[in-house]
Amino acid sequence: MNASLHSSDAIVIGGGVVGGAIAYGLAKRGLSVTLLDEGDVAFRAARANFGLVWVHSKGPGFPAYQEWSQRSADLWGDFAAELTADSGVSPHHERRGGFHFTLGDEEFEARAQLLRRMHNQQPPGRYAARMVERSELERMLPNIRFGPRVSGASFSESDGQASPLHLLHGLMGACQARGVRLYGEHRASAITREPGGAFIVTAGPRRFAAPKLVLAAGNGNPPLAKMVGLEAPVRPQRGQVAVTERTERFFHHTGSGVRQLPEGTVILGSSEEEAGFDTSARSDVVGQIVHRNIQVMPDLARLRLVRFWAGLRVMTPDSFPVYNQSETHPGAFIATCHSGVTLAAAHANALAPQIIAGALSPEMAPFTARRFHVSKAA
Amino acid sequence: MTSAPDLAIVGAGPAGLAAAIEGARLGLAVALYDEQPEPGGQIFRAAESVAAGKGAPLAAFGADYAEGPQLVARFRASPAAAGYMPRTTIWLLDRQRTLGHVQDGKARMLRPKRVLIATGAQERPVPLPGWTTPGVMTVGAAQGLMKSAGQVPEPPFALCGSGPLLYQFAAQLVAAGERRFTVLDTTPKGRWARALPFLPGALRDTDLLLKGLGLMQKVRMAGVPVLRHVRDVAVHGNGRVEHVTFRHGNHLGELPVQLLLLHQGVVPNVSLSLSVPLRHVWDAAQRCFRPALDAWGNSDVAGIAVAGDGGGIGGWQAATAQGELAALEAAHALGRIERAERDRQAAPIRARLKTALAARGLIDTLYAPPPLAALADATIVCRCEEVTAGQVRAAIAMGDTNPNAVKSRTRAGMGPCQGRMCGLTVSELVAHARGLPPDAAGTYRLRPPIKPLPVAVLADLDTSAVEEEEDAT
Repeated sequence: MNASLHSSDAIVIGGGVVGGAIAYGLAKRGLSVTLLDEGDVAFRAARANFGLVWVHSKGPGFPAYQEWSQRSADLWGDFAAELTADSGVSPHHERRGGFHFTLGDEEFEARAQLLRRMHNQQPPGRYAARMVERSELERMLPNIRFGPRVSGASFSESDGQASPLHLLHGLMGACQARGVRLYGEHRASAITREPGGAFIVTAGPRRFAAPKLVLAAGNGNPPLAKMVGLEAPVRPQRGQVAVTERTERFFHHTGSGVRQLPEGTVILGSSEEEAGFDTSARSDVVGQIVHRNIQVMPDLARLRLVRFWAGLRVMTPDSFPVYNQSETHPGAFIATCHSGVTLAAAHANALAPQIIAGALSPEMAPFTARRFHVSKAA
Repeated sequence: MTSAPDLAIVGAGPAGLAAAIEGARLGLAVALYDEQPEPGGQIFRAAESVAAGKGAPLAAFGADYAEGPQLVARFRASPAAAGYMPRTTIWLLDRQRTLGHVQDGKARMLRPKRVLIATGAQERPVPLPGWTTPGVMTVGAAQGLMKSAGQVPEPPFALCGSGPLLYQFAAQLVAAGERRFTVLDTTPKGRWARALPFLPGALRDTDLLLKGLGLMQKVRMAGVPVLRHVRDVAVHGNGRVEHVTFRHGNHLGELPVQLLLLHQGVVPNVSLSLSVPLRHVWDAAQRCFRPALDAWGNSDVAGIAVAGDGGGIGGWQAATAQGELAALEAAHALGRIERAERDRQAAPIRARLKTALAARGLIDTLYAPPPLAALADATIVCRCEEVTAGQVRAAIAMGDTNPNAVKSRTRAGMGPCQGRMCGLTVSELVAHARGLPPDAAGTYRLRPPIKPLPVAVLADLDTSAVEEEEDAT
């Protein structure tokens, strides 16, 4: 049996926020794109994403990631507008600045030190985050009563938030509007290469062909990467979030562990647990999350929790993203990260053009998976 | 109780009470958790208060209800009463049998050796135009108020829908001296003809059947207008119910009411069993999901069983039998009785169960709910997030192949009730659009807490009982 071949300019494997953003970026620049998704069985990280568009603590010891996150945050406003125009779905992007609250002097000092390091690894004038003492915090957020142990916060005007689910749905809608052919419930099982150079992907009952291939399947990437001479050193890391009932909007900024959605629900997060592919929520962990947030904002205690759940981050050994083009199979790219929301704008409007050009820019070199070989040898 | 019980029972209705009494008789350490201040469940709600002369007069609720106080009294006299925890909400149950409960603002987690879910039934949601208007409530809720507070609705009002409870409550109102209301019976024409083949089965329990017909008769004799085969019911009113419109024969009817009580039968309350999650199947006869159970009530998860209406609607007599069977199975599984002894003691209980279920086929056929496929696009499906049938259909058209995908796109099912009111509807809409049976379309994935839990309570969660056990293993 020779199933007919569906041909396009590019195949993206993975219909989450990473694959969706790249497919959208490719399609709106004129490529015909096929987006393959395994469907609802996927460990869809977007479903449990906290929804931060976050810069100010991203990339200590890794200036390229700091710069990449900043760039994406700067691109997000325009990206949100074009996504809304193409799909009719707003990703609810807001950029009003983000706080990381500290409890006690020790946390404040540690945070200040982190910010100094982050500041020093950037060119002068580029890094915008600063420490805010409690008295200033109270002036900035007059609606909020802080707990007695709150010593202050780090703050950056670069930070914001977006709705992961609306982003995902907006991306899927925008992809369709831009002619992307979306195949749900099509799990990619095999990748080969024709003598002429096109990649042949077998997914579900169909076969697809394209000269360009992007692996964006998150925790599903490792076996696919091997098929085209790439590496995907990722593992699942469990994160849990809790959601409250709606309440009047009191927090218009963004917090690293607490944020309020425009419609009023409050999201509390989030944990970092090594638990393999186990996505069951743990009440004790949620208890700790909640406990900390109440110490920051005691009035949260009066709200009712309606849901908590767990999802899996896509985590590399050093937690930073991997972007590579295959040396043995040129035209095959991998993109993997745990910041699919923050980086969505960069994936659509900075990474996609590089994939079209056939080469990643020099500033992407630090993101190669080869960096893990070096540390192993050392 | 500080150590984990042998048998933790969720729900103090007929199934839970019977299981607790039987479990204690077999020597099990039993804990019985219930949200209400008094045992009895929905059907025997406030049985003790009513028997003691508080609330509405006992006679108003009929002979059936009189058996409630007897069951409750047997429980109070049983050693199981020591493990009774009223006003307690269960907010978590997972596959490891971790049970989270909250009582008086204090949350704890523990891990019982066996868990029996006896959470009973809930009324089937009746999505129709205007059903979210203030002044619309369910017959069951109104009946609950009458049982616990002696409260009788203020006329003019109407009862609308189908199912045994509709006439039962109408008869209870008549017995309590209230006749100034209307019954809008939406049972379609021709249902009796379809239900006739089930009569031989139902005859085994003629008692129940005659009782049903007697109720209908009683209501009509009292001079209460009963309009049958009513269709296209819609609620109107500006911020409050003012009138209800409907089709009756070839006429367009309109009725001024300040209260409309809806009812379309009951379905298993599967919030807890879905959240574990236990495996569920679609019950085509009752048009609902129920957990897949063996003859002892065992689910597909080790140590977790279901008894009573929560495992499929069978009524309170079936529920007590199922509760006792589950207790026998628990005692056997925990090594208290031999297999042969379990089976010997189960035999008379199974005979009772068979009789109790004999009329089901008739009732299910007679009162089958109207197909949801005909739901108007403008009708609200999810009350918490105000999502309409049209929005759900649009999500399906955009490629959402299951209720969870619909939920993440539309927010239907994300509110505080966690889809209790819209889960069935969304599953049926997806199934209809895809031409699949509802179990192929699937159900919402439920997340803990099953009931909203104050943030403060979770922050002070006591996990010591579960941690000690984990340290020991």
